Amino acid sequence: MSRYDNEIDLEPGVDNIAPDYMAVDSEARDGVRDDSHDYDRMDEDTTSTGGRAQRSVEGWIVIITGVHEEADEEAVMEKFAEYGDIKNLHLNLDRRTGYVKGYALVEYETHNEAKAAIEATNGTKFYDQTIYADFAFVRSTELATNCNTRRGMGIKGRANGRRDRSRSASPSRNGRR
Amino acid sequence: MADQEFYVRYYAGHIGRYGHEFLEFEFRADGHCRYANNSNYRKDSLIRKENDDKWPRKNVVGKQELEIRLGNEHISFETAKLGSLMEVTDSADPEGLRVFYYLVQDLKCFIFSLIALHFKIKPI
Repeated sequence: MSRYDNEIDLEPGVDNIAPDYMAVDSEARDGVRDDSHDYDRMDEDTTSTGGRAQRSVEGWIVIITGVHEEADEEAVMEKFAEYGDIKNLHLNLDRRTGYVKGYALVEYETHNEAKAAIEATNGTKFYDQTIYADFAFVRSTELATNCNTRRGMGIKGRANGRRDRSRSASPSRNGRR
Repeated sequence: MADQEFYVRYYAGHIGRYGHEFLEFEFRADGHCRYANNSNYRKDSLIRKENDDKWPRKNVVGKQELEIRLGNEHISFETAKLGSLMEVTDSADPEGLRVFYYLVQDLKCFIFSLIALHFKIKPI
């Protein structure tokens, strides 16, 4: 059961028949593969990817990780506008360094645009770094079976400040701030 | 590493005039994300406390907790709410507390972006 009394539904529009999505008992996991096709589609797309993704209130959110710390918003915008009209872009910064944290969130209006962006950019190089793209939100019933495919989506972090401090700044950084 | 259990949980809250008010969120390796704002929450306390000995103790303003589990590594931190970097600098462990201070901001930044984009609402 939910540990919270007042928890926001992270999946608006998902079928009410969905079980408590924090439950991770093995039965629920085992059942997923077989009956995933019974869920209503949020989109006309009926491919497996389409069934896995979860639509947000106004569109489809793609998360991109491995984004270079010196990537700028225009460059990200330009790259991802190729696959559709970008409704929203969040390129959050490391609060400590002011550089890009390492991830970007891009919103497309249609599933097909988001899917095209993911397929075209996942595993490709951007600023000499491999980026990974995927739907930021997936159906809760799909999480158990798809978490493996979401491996490596680590967000570049600098939790260890000591390591950070011992690193000398590269010449290219000095110019920026 | 991908096979190890992993999660990050953050809590900031206080008990005051309006009862127990808090913000809490959690990211899990399987992709689940939980977010709660202003409700009651009970946590079990089997977790190793770490490195926060010299951090400001929780006080009337409230407290923050950060808990991270990665396989057998399970750590948690508790400190007072930090309003400004000044409180970090003036603490007994400014280096450690600064890491905590920024990590928390980065985590909040991430979840607020997710919530804002997914629901088109401003969290908090």
